[in-house]
Amino acid sequence: MLRDERRPESAALSGRETGRLANPDVRDEFGLETIDMNMGPQHPSMHGLLRLILELDGETIVRCDPIMGYLHRSKEKISENRTYPAVVPITDRIDYLGNMHMEHGYCLAVEDLLDVEVPPRADAIRVLMCELMRLASHTPSIGFLLLELGAFTPILYGFRERERIQDIFEAVTGARMMFHYIRIGGVKADLPEDMPERIWERVESMEANIQRDFVDLIEGNEIFVARTRGVGKMTQEKAIEMGLTGPPLRCTGVDFDVRRDYPYGWYPNVEFDVVTDTEGDAEASYRVRLGEIKQSVRIIKQVLEKLPEGEVMADVSRRVRPPEGEGFGRVESPRGEYAVHVVSDGSDIPYRVHYRTPCTVNMQLLQEIIPGHYLPDVMPIMGIVDPVSGSWDK
Amino acid sequence: MGALLEYLDQEPWRFLISFGAILFLSLNLAAILTLAERKVAGYIQLRHGPNRVGPRGLLQPAADMVKLFTKENLSPSGSDRWVFLAAPIAMFLPAPLIWLVVPFAPGVVVADLNIALLFFISITSIGALGVIMAGYGSRSNFSLLGALRGAGQLISYEVPLILSLLGVAILAGSLSLVDVVNAQDGGFWNWYFLPQFPMLIAFFVAGIAEVKRIPFDLPEGESEIVGGFMVEYSGMTWAMIQASEFGLMGLMSAVSATLFFGGWQPPLEFLDLGTFNWIWLGLKTALLMFTFLWIRWTLPRLRMDQLMDFGWKVLVPLTIFWLFVTAGAVLAFPSIFG
Repeated sequence: MLRDERRPESAALSGRETGRLANPDVRDEFGLETIDMNMGPQHPSMHGLLRLILELDGETIVRCDPIMGYLHRSKEKISENRTYPAVVPITDRIDYLGNMHMEHGYCLAVEDLLDVEVPPRADAIRVLMCELMRLASHTPSIGFLLLELGAFTPILYGFRERERIQDIFEAVTGARMMFHYIRIGGVKADLPEDMPERIWERVESMEANIQRDFVDLIEGNEIFVARTRGVGKMTQEKAIEMGLTGPPLRCTGVDFDVRRDYPYGWYPNVEFDVVTDTEGDAEASYRVRLGEIKQSVRIIKQVLEKLPEGEVMADVSRRVRPPEGEGFGRVESPRGEYAVHVVSDGSDIPYRVHYRTPCTVNMQLLQEIIPGHYLPDVMPIMGIVDPVSGSWDK
Repeated sequence: MGALLEYLDQEPWRFLISFGAILFLSLNLAAILTLAERKVAGYIQLRHGPNRVGPRGLLQPAADMVKLFTKENLSPSGSDRWVFLAAPIAMFLPAPLIWLVVPFAPGVVVADLNIALLFFISITSIGALGVIMAGYGSRSNFSLLGALRGAGQLISYEVPLILSLLGVAILAGSLSLVDVVNAQDGGFWNWYFLPQFPMLIAFFVAGIAEVKRIPFDLPEGESEIVGGFMVEYSGMTWAMIQASEFGLMGLMSAVSATLFFGGWQPPLEFLDLGTFNWIWLGLKTALLMFTFLWIRWTLPRLRMDQLMDFGWKVLVPLTIFWLFVTAGAVLAFPSIFG
């Protein structure tokens, strides 16, 4: 009746006990059944390649098994077959909404291995690009959250902002998404001459646009509040236990940010606040992302004001051959902590590269948090994670 | 219904011709609305919308129609075939049927039913039946959930919808739409949107739920149940469901205009155009339809439990309260409101 014979199998799959039932008494009395529903991988809201097996009791979700792996591209294995500089474009494709951070993390790890000093101007440009990347990632992700709640329009406002930043990327790096800009020992090229003024102009107008198109339109909206407040609520302990990082962690009130707590690159030279919230629900994660947009604008302005002069590339041989040993780099990507661990055996090819991508870990909250919610609440809970398929599958 | 049949008996040819004209109007309105929706959405979303087929994309609906006609009609294996195929028809019929009782200009109405409001209420409910049939016939979990949501939505919004009509009926002293329009003559200050403002809001909100559009498009819910009851439809059956949605949207706008904005009555008396007063009805309907589209592209979607909360805890008390206020006012000041 309750499909008991199928429960242990799926429970083993998800590695946890069977979910709680919404109203077991009614079910037993009338002999009602739950239904299993496959959400994805071909589902418009599953970001392309996520499959959720949901057990539904009416509209209440009893059990949720996320199945990942539909976009597994063997990034780590491919990285073991390429020379050190040739891995950088591979990392670009891990989290395709946070490419700069992916490159930055890998380059930090290899520089750690090589013991190279990056010129200050290159470091500053890296920070500048990473923060622009964060803007280009957070604006559409707020739009995605709204899109999944049924409001189609804000995502296009988000993409307009992203587009304006992509123009900058295009001018600086020559590419719109797969940049290959941050290289081992520095960056590919210096900024074009008028670029600092252009960036300043863009981020300045961006603040006003965000206020008008997101804050004024969304924040006071009754329906938005009704759909997100208290949805996907988690405690600090739970968030830490699940190993969350980035906005999903900070929205529960844990004050952790790699940029400040384990400073890298040029970040010690800029001032910024770590945005946290106390609620730990979907609305809080939205507020954290919004706050981070403002902080990123603040960082960008500081970098532009204090941009040092000099070289943008350290003296690194094109044929990188690091000594035997291990290198480690961690950065705060838009979705959370991204870390790279590189092991060298002394040859010009890495012996082992490990990418700690934020989404892989953050996605755990789906099976922990979703059971007990209604079916439409899956979407705002996905919005807390802000998943990117490339980031959870590597 | 009896009056309609009697009428059909007396002048069958005139009725058939007018029904054909109404069907034509309803279908065309749906086609124009699909284009309007995409254009309005485009301009709200900083883009142009369709602009390739014909001048400024005006022929886009025709192109869509050709595409949908030539597509194969699939019915999923294991589906209840007849229920599956009958559902789009059940959904499509209400809109052209209700147009029969809407007065277009003084003396221009297909059937002046003395129970037009009851007719309106009963016929619109058939659409919800179609949703349930579609969800049941498709044999898909997504469709079934959509159908159940449709049923749940029906009972939550139909009550405020009916209650909100009663205030107008009391003020006009009649259930006939012709009488309702005639009672609102003499300038826009006599239209019922002023004394019946809460009822207008309730009617419009319930109307959005009736048409199944955001923020009440739960039976569709494309981000979680991917189209809900219509997830298995393709080709012409899908086109009929879409046409029913848009046709009903046009109709709800026209009925709102008739009940609360004076129907074909001109806003000021010297603007009276005689038989051409249908232009006024058209303008009011167009404005209300734009409001539908505007809401659709601005707001997120509610959840099922929140929709029910809103229907039963806000709209029903509001409409009942205003119903009593209206009735009390009519009883206390018969010289003004009688």
